[in-house]
Amino acid sequence: MRARSCFSPSHHDYTHLPQTMFHVSFRYIFGIPPLILVLLPVTSSDCHIKDKEGKAYESVLMISIDELDKMTGTVSNCPNNEPNFFKKHPCDDAKEAAFLNRAARKLKQFLKMNISEEFNIHLLTVSQGTQTLVNCTNKEEKNLKEQKKNDPCFLKRLLREIKTCWNKILKGSI
Amino acid sequence: MMVLGRAFATVFCLLQAVSGESGNAQNGDLEDAEPDADYSFGCYSQLEVDGNQHSLTCAFDDPDINSTNLELQICDVLLQMGCLTLNKLQRKYFVKTGRFLLIGNSNMCVKLGEKNLTCKNIEISKIVKPEAPFGLEVVYRKEANDFLVTFNTTHSKKKYVKHLMHDMAYRPKKGESNWTHVHLMNTKTTILERTLKPKAVYEIKVRSIPGTRYFKGFWSDWSPSSTFKTPDPWSRVRWDPVLPSISILSFFSVVLLVILTCVLWKKRIKPIVWPSLPDHKKTLEQLCKKPQKNLNVSFNPESFLDCQIHEVNGIQSRDEVESFLQNDHPPQPDLPPEELENQEHGASVHSPNWLSEISVSIPETVRRDSPLRFLSRNLSACNTPTFPSSRSLDYRDDDRNGPHVYQDLLPSPGNTNGTLPQLFPLQSGILIPVCQRQPIPTSSVLNQEEAYVTMSSFYQNK
Repeated sequence: MRARSCFSPSHHDYTHLPQTMFHVSFRYIFGIPPLILVLLPVTSSDCHIKDKEGKAYESVLMISIDELDKMTGTVSNCPNNEPNFFKKHPCDDAKEAAFLNRAARKLKQFLKMNISEEFNIHLLTVSQGTQTLVNCTNKEEKNLKEQKKNDPCFLKRLLREIKTCWNKILKGSI
Repeated sequence: MMVLGRAFATVFCLLQAVSGESGNAQNGDLEDAEPDADYSFGCYSQLEVDGNQHSLTCAFDDPDINSTNLELQICDVLLQMGCLTLNKLQRKYFVKTGRFLLIGNSNMCVKLGEKNLTCKNIEISKIVKPEAPFGLEVVYRKEANDFLVTFNTTHSKKKYVKHLMHDMAYRPKKGESNWTHVHLMNTKTTILERTLKPKAVYEIKVRSIPGTRYFKGFWSDWSPSSTFKTPDPWSRVRWDPVLPSISILSFFSVVLLVILTCVLWKKRIKPIVWPSLPDHKKTLEQLCKKPQKNLNVSFNPESFLDCQIHEVNGIQSRDEVESFLQNDHPPQPDLPPEELENQEHGASVHSPNWLSEISVSIPETVRRDSPLRFLSRNLSACNTPTFPSSRSLDYRDDDRNGPHVYQDLLPSPGNTNGTLPQLFPLQSGILIPVCQRQPIPTSSVLNQEEAYVTMSSFYQNK
């Protein structure tokens, strides 16, 4: 019986090395870049503000926001805790446009309140008008969580946050 | 063969494509009916024209165009709507809805059936045409001499197009003069009367255009015209008579008061306002009458021919006088008359009692002879008094002729009770001779008054 030495290349089969290397490079070439491409839109924001002077906001959106606030009326007993929506999507620096885009999409959920035709028109004006102005290129297919029905507290808070975020944008652009 | 076939097919295809684009009217294809027609059109929007509803009105630029089958459709600007077709009203296309999104561009197309003949981008917020103003009024303000112009607009109560710029135009109604335009941001303004022709009828109208940063558009229609008349400048002559008459009356009163004040100032007003304190010196002067200035004095005896000369007889207390005189002026030797005259000149005569001073330098001959006899002689002349400045006495003649008559006669011891005739009263500085050519009684006695006066004159000389 012949003793095997450590230096004897008996158990390593180098004939399969080129094939192995091919499989590894294949993964790196065709696997990782698509992964990067998929992940990049999640981290980056493709929204940018078109109306940085705020002319459209002051002349159209702000009027509709005030009308909606008036139509909602005085709401009492609103909870003090911050809703999750604002925790997840704050109006941070360089993310104002993204916040406005999400907030505008969230507004559309309140069409179900069906208060009046005029209410709906103002709601759509703010929602669609904001989306026109922020001009987000990425299509967020992920649906936002459905809002509870007839939550005027959240609506009022949402309108206030939209106004605050717009003021922040305009203040920064002066 | 194959190659040739391919070539023929290629040519055929090319021909068909070219013929297709050139157009063929014979087909009756409406798509190619008016290839050279101008389907250009214009639109304007009116916001909140009916509550919250907005309107959009379009029309073709070419009025002769056959728009029978043409439609106008707008897309991409509506809320929760894709496209909206405008309704045809005669030659215009009109739509009214509240679902216009006033942000962003929209696409307006001229459609013939399903085919878009021409399209263009329009922005609803940039083609706004305001509603025409109304209620134009012009009021004349007499106090300010101007015309106050006011008008109303429906946009003051709207939400979106609230701020407008207005164009006011006016001109005289007669004649075809140019309109005067004034731009303003308010619904109230004034026109100065002096900028207008007097006594003329003016025509005025106003229109509006969006004046905000965001909304833009066109001029509205003109408001209904108003007219106003400028006043006649001569009609302002009529004034209130009360105020001018009061002012004239008060002016003349003031003038009269000033004149009266000037006239009565010294006599009436000043003594009351500024009473004068009595001045003792002046009072004394008034009491003692001043002599005449232009008094001719002469010691020529001929000038005293009319004078009454009184002879002095006695002098009482001659010794006292002599001693008094000697103390003041020591006895002089027999001096020539010139020296005597000089001495007399040297004697100070500053008071009315100059005669007493003159008597100081009695010549020795006179004194030696006998003062009594001297005094008792008939007096031929009396000496006229002189001013202190001209106290020359012609003693030469008197000395030779006889005794002299002196005022303030020296008292004689024998005439204590007698009285000397009163020659003339003493006055301040000047003595007026009242002489009589009568012999003076030898035993004239100086009365107490004359003695007092003589003594007082001595006291003063001292």
